[in-house]
Amino acid sequence: MKILNIEYEKYNLSNGLQVILHQNKNLPLAAINIWYKVGSAFETRGKTGLAHLFEHMMFQGSENAAKEMHFRLIQEAGGTLNGSTTFDRTNYYEKVPSNFLELALWLESDRMGFLLPALTLEKLDNQKGVVSNERLERYENQPYGLAWEKILAALFKKEFPYSWPTIGYLEDIQSYTLEDVSTFFKNYYSPHNACLVIAGDFDTDHCKKLVEKYFESIQSNSFIRNDNIEKPSLEKTIYLQYEDNVQLERIYLAWHSDKAYSNDDAALDTLADILSGSKNSRLYKKLVFEKEIAQDVSAMQISGKLTGIFMIVATAKPGKDISEIKQDIFDEIQHLETHGVIERELLKSKNGIKASFINSLQQIDNLADHLNSYNYFLGEPNSFISDLNRYESINSTSLKMVASKYLTQNYVELIVKPLKKVC
Amino acid sequence: MLKKIDRSIIPQPKEEIKFNLPEIKTFLLSNGLKVLFVQRDFLPLIRINLIANCGSSFDPAEKKGLANLFAMMIDEGAGEYNSLELSEEFELLGSSFSATCNHDNVYLSIRALTENFERTLELFSLIILKPRFNINDFQREKRKVEVKLLQQKDDPEEMADLLFNKVIYFHDNSYSNPVLGDETCLANINLEDIKNFYKDYFAPVNSQLIVTGNIQPEKLINLLESNLSSWNNINKASSAKFGKTVNTSKVYILNKENAVQTEVRIGHQSEKRQTPDYFARTVMNMILGGQFTSRLNLNLREQKGFTYGVSSTFSYYKYSGDFCVSTSVSTENTFAAVNEILNELKKIKDGVTIQELDFTLSSMIRRFPSQFESDNQMVSNLSLLAIHDLPLSYFNNYLQNVRNVTIEEVNKSALLNIRLDELSIVLVGNRIKLLDSFSNFSKGTVQIINENGQIIE
Repeated sequence: MKILNIEYEKYNLSNGLQVILHQNKNLPLAAINIWYKVGSAFETRGKTGLAHLFEHMMFQGSENAAKEMHFRLIQEAGGTLNGSTTFDRTNYYEKVPSNFLELALWLESDRMGFLLPALTLEKLDNQKGVVSNERLERYENQPYGLAWEKILAALFKKEFPYSWPTIGYLEDIQSYTLEDVSTFFKNYYSPHNACLVIAGDFDTDHCKKLVEKYFESIQSNSFIRNDNIEKPSLEKTIYLQYEDNVQLERIYLAWHSDKAYSNDDAALDTLADILSGSKNSRLYKKLVFEKEIAQDVSAMQISGKLTGIFMIVATAKPGKDISEIKQDIFDEIQHLETHGVIERELLKSKNGIKASFINSLQQIDNLADHLNSYNYFLGEPNSFISDLNRYESINSTSLKMVASKYLTQNYVELIVKPLKKVC
Repeated sequence: MLKKIDRSIIPQPKEEIKFNLPEIKTFLLSNGLKVLFVQRDFLPLIRINLIANCGSSFDPAEKKGLANLFAMMIDEGAGEYNSLELSEEFELLGSSFSATCNHDNVYLSIRALTENFERTLELFSLIILKPRFNINDFQREKRKVEVKLLQQKDDPEEMADLLFNKVIYFHDNSYSNPVLGDETCLANINLEDIKNFYKDYFAPVNSQLIVTGNIQPEKLINLLESNLSSWNNINKASSAKFGKTVNTSKVYILNKENAVQTEVRIGHQSEKRQTPDYFARTVMNMILGGQFTSRLNLNLREQKGFTYGVSSTFSYYKYSGDFCVSTSVSTENTFAAVNEILNELKKIKDGVTIQELDFTLSSMIRRFPSQFESDNQMVSNLSLLAIHDLPLSYFNNYLQNVRNVTIEEVNKSALLNIRLDELSIVLVGNRIKLLDSFSNFSKGTVQIINENGQIIE
């Protein structure tokens, strides 16, 4: 499909910074998107959440842009900005009117090269407070909010770097020192560990000159991380339970699966869609629509650079038996493994995926992030077509195969029960 | 040797950008349905949003939740298809359909690839013209709402929003209706009510159709005429009340056992969207709490580290509006945070600075082109015009209207629109600890409420 062929130019600066340019003149906008190859999987026990803390510290000012300046200048320019952190990477982005491209590059380069001279204990303490509140608001105070980190801790051994949540543990967040922050920065926030995507309405020659002007003189370090990570597995099935301030019982089932863009990743994605992605999907239809024993059910393939997790989550209706739900889930998996799926189910899933691919091209900042993502995982930014082809090539046999290969293995079961009321 | 650059110089733009507003076309179908359309050919996608002005504020007092249940029922089978078959028809096309409901409107939307648009529109029209309203589907969907009502109680953010709405509107204003209804009302709703609702309120004359995407206007009109012109339901008068009530300042606490955070909402009723000082109050609110660098967020987040974020908003219904400051803070800091918020509300009445004004105007003006990037944004823009009866020239005049805002107007707007003695303060959190810290609160009496907003202590 022609519209999914995204033209780009990719090159390296002498300090190792990767640069990817994509021109799109639909609107007078420019998207600037930087991926640093560092996420929570690069942290150590006792200092979890440090990668995510950077998502905050990087907005606290650098040598030439005082605290809050980053926000102020981009907002005054009519732009938007943010950052996000996963297991594998941290990204920072701005979308500005195209005549403010230089402003965004200046800001990004200043914090890439000169964050530490502006770092103070006061800023760190303030953001430790903000992140602690973020954790309380988004995890502790959310119904079922702690389920995810309990699953990770059970699914992976302590040393495996996906075994803790990206936000970090509260006691770790409160323990960060200036030394922790500056070492982490020196190790990972180096030009040779980053990729800058610029997408939108710009003149290529001019844009290249600006990138050179602001980024070329930033020194790279020589830090190289040794990844020597064993493939995780479970020796036995683990059963967990906890009580939460919720009305309805919920079950989580989590299996080890395959990493992002691996052979089996797309098949597992499709399997998840066929299980729970629509009204006619197997588990939704059976549990929510026909038997009405569950209020909701969802299956998902969550995959990162190191490995993947296949998860099924279902919330029981009041008074309904969670073990019946579990039995139905396993019956359906077994049925899939034996009989596969019908052509119609595959067609629906493929058409849905195709439409969502096209839909995802609408905003230039999304597109820039996609280019960075493909570049990071596949080494080729223009991978929309090959990515879609991964899904197009799936058939009933490949689905049977992944169901049998992953979903018949040991798993983690977590049941969240409503807190018993003490009156 | 690399050239040394002076990084202390903030780069300035060298040229102005050129931006052309997309043209909005309108037409009227033969059944009276008004259509707003913007052609966009960047990608082979088309979106439709039907806005029917029969949302939950029109629900009868003893049948709150009716409009929402109607929206949930409308795609449970239509014409020759039962519920699952109908959904499958959309799934086969890779098209998506959704039906939602809020206080003002019921919304039916589709998204389709251009190549599948005609078939998707046929299905969409079938839903509008021939919904099945089958009894089994009705019972299942109703049970779904009953459980949703239970689940809602688990979510402190949702509860805070819901209760804020209840306490500022009370019973004499139909905007106090919770969209989902409540347990008692739900029991009163039967299938006949849904059928009557469809016949009596879901009508082309009180609806508008928003279309954006990759299609020629002539072709679109023909397709809409041939699919939708036989939709001729009537629109009966309703008994909804939209009177204004003035509240006195009070604190309402909903107990959330074991909560580590408190959800905070502070505000009062306000004017509807078509208020003459709309632009001045929008600028004022941006400075107060409408952006990351607002006074509230810089104070509570960046200086005090109390919260992950705090914001203030003027929200607009069709016939009313409200002002609300919203945040989530740890239990220990709740009292201090509420006081800081009240201080900021008081302080903004002393006036804003010219720097704050210039900053905000610049931000609003320069951000304008990025509001027209996706189909979704375009649909929202057109829906805004439709819902609030704004003129078609609204976006053409937008920049001039922003530029015209003066510091005097902004300051006047703060004096008029932030009313300290009418503030309702809703706290969802640990009752005992909150009661303790608010025992000496001077800005209003403290009351404990239940999940329905009734005062229990």
